[in-house]
Amino acid sequence: MAGPARSRHPPEVPSGRLPLHGAGGSLALDVALPIVPARSLRERLLGGGRTRARTDRTVLVLHDVTKEYPNGRVALRDVDLVIPEGDFVFLVGPSGAGKSTLIKLLIRDELPTRGEVVLDGQDLARIGRRNVPRVRRKIGIVFQDFKLLPRKSVWENVAFALEVTGTPRRRIRPAVDRVLALVGLTAQARQHPHQLSGGEQQRTAIARALVHDPRLIIADEPTGNLDPLISWEIIQLLLRINELGVTVLMATHNADVVTALRKRVVALEEGRVIRDEVGGTYHRVD
Amino acid sequence: MIGFIAFSLRRAWQGFWRNAVMSIAATATMVLMLLLLAGFWILNTGLLAGLEYTESKVNIVADFHDNATEGQVRDLVARVEAMPEVLRVDSISRDEALQRFKASRRAQREEDLTRFLDSNPFHASIEIFLTDAELYTVVQNRLCSEPGPTGKGCAEEPAIESVKNQQALVDNVVTITNVLQTAGAVVLVVIGLIVLFIIVNTIRLAVVARAEEIEIMRLVGASDAFIRWPFVFEGAMVGVLGAALALGILGAAADPLSRFMFDFFRVLPLEFGGLTRDVLVLVLGAGIGLGVVGSWVSVRTYLIR
Repeated sequence: MAGPARSRHPPEVPSGRLPLHGAGGSLALDVALPIVPARSLRERLLGGGRTRARTDRTVLVLHDVTKEYPNGRVALRDVDLVIPEGDFVFLVGPSGAGKSTLIKLLIRDELPTRGEVVLDGQDLARIGRRNVPRVRRKIGIVFQDFKLLPRKSVWENVAFALEVTGTPRRRIRPAVDRVLALVGLTAQARQHPHQLSGGEQQRTAIARALVHDPRLIIADEPTGNLDPLISWEIIQLLLRINELGVTVLMATHNADVVTALRKRVVALEEGRVIRDEVGGTYHRVD
Repeated sequence: MIGFIAFSLRRAWQGFWRNAVMSIAATATMVLMLLLLAGFWILNTGLLAGLEYTESKVNIVADFHDNATEGQVRDLVARVEAMPEVLRVDSISRDEALQRFKASRRAQREEDLTRFLDSNPFHASIEIFLTDAELYTVVQNRLCSEPGPTGKGCAEEPAIESVKNQQALVDNVVTITNVLQTAGAVVLVVIGLIVLFIIVNTIRLAVVARAEEIEIMRLVGASDAFIRWPFVFEGAMVGVLGAALALGILGAAADPLSRFMFDFFRVLPLEFGGLTRDVLVLVLGAGIGLGVVGSWVSVRTYLIR
């Protein structure tokens, strides 16, 4: 298992001002987000006394993973990937490269044909059906199409994630309120998804993904349905969440974002990892 | 556990009302299907009662010699009554036989011919009613297996002058009733299966319409029980509501229907209270059962593989 290669560019620490590459050149966007001390995420989310410090632990390990579907299509080949806690990783590659399959393996929607997927120390192939929900609670997942329930309000959409996992009601209210405050949606808590902008809908989805206090946030094309300005807002939010200690894996086609942020980039092509570099760009720089 | 049940019930209630169109469609289908099922059940029960009534009319008639003594007759009746296949034995004296004949002529508005007779030509007889029409041959053979020395009567029962042979008629009755009983059962099973498939499919549609909700539940780490049971309770709710409405409609229709079918129920050996209870249990049981099974099967598709 090889670690990510260091690129020539040192990783940048994201600031409150991010470059925005539009048709007219570069713009700068100010995004006001609450400054939250990194160690207090759990306190902010669930009100508990436990804190999570950055450690050298790995959140995710893929070892020699191959996934072949029953129709004979090989979606992933010999994939090795190690993601330490607190990392922010872009997963890039053309459509059909294997990104979706990789995400399905991480949430144990699929099992690898060969190899191991180890999430937070647990081999997902060995955990058994009954433990799958518990593992999924360690992951917060955000989709391009938000996947919000239209008949529920913002607050109810976020609370839903706790309700359906058996969280006692007395713990739901403070947790939802905190996470909505974190994504800046307290004022919109009673509104329904159709009353929100795309960015607000995605922030609701992020709040829902965060409310379990996950170890890993998987964002599958989270900006795919959003205009560039709003996209940067969402990226800013994910960066902030990452600063709070949550590992983020973001699958994206948004070259501007990947290149601008110079985070770790894992590139897939035809099911293989063809590039894994810290401080990488969307396209390979030779 | 109580929290889980409360959660499931609350979610079932919310699910029902927030998807009102699908819920009402499912409930309406449930009502119609339960009415269909109950209707055929009632029809089949009536058919069975009718067949039972027809079979109960099958009897063995044995005429006595005029010189048969009272003791011989009493002895024979006692022996026949002791047979396990025999339901009851009616004795008809010669006078009663004559009166019956007169009554039947009157009922047919025919002339009373008996006034031309010098004496009563009828024999005293017994009518043997059987527990089952199919036992006709058994009882007849036991009563009289061989004809007497003159070719008439009974070798083993000197008091008997003749035993009416209705074998062909009885065979026909038994054949027809057996075919109708089987046909009734088959139709009921087919109707039951149609009801099962239509209700399960309707509930499946209601569940499929909420596939995204189930998908979200799976992704946020809901266990199978948390996904499944609200839907099962919701299915049971559709079942209870559908059954209550179907029973309400049947209840409203029962009075005019029973008035219309008063004679039918008076003649047939049908216990109306028993039928009501059976329909109640059937409709409620089928409603809840199909609601639960429909939801269980439909949600299973979306659970963790």
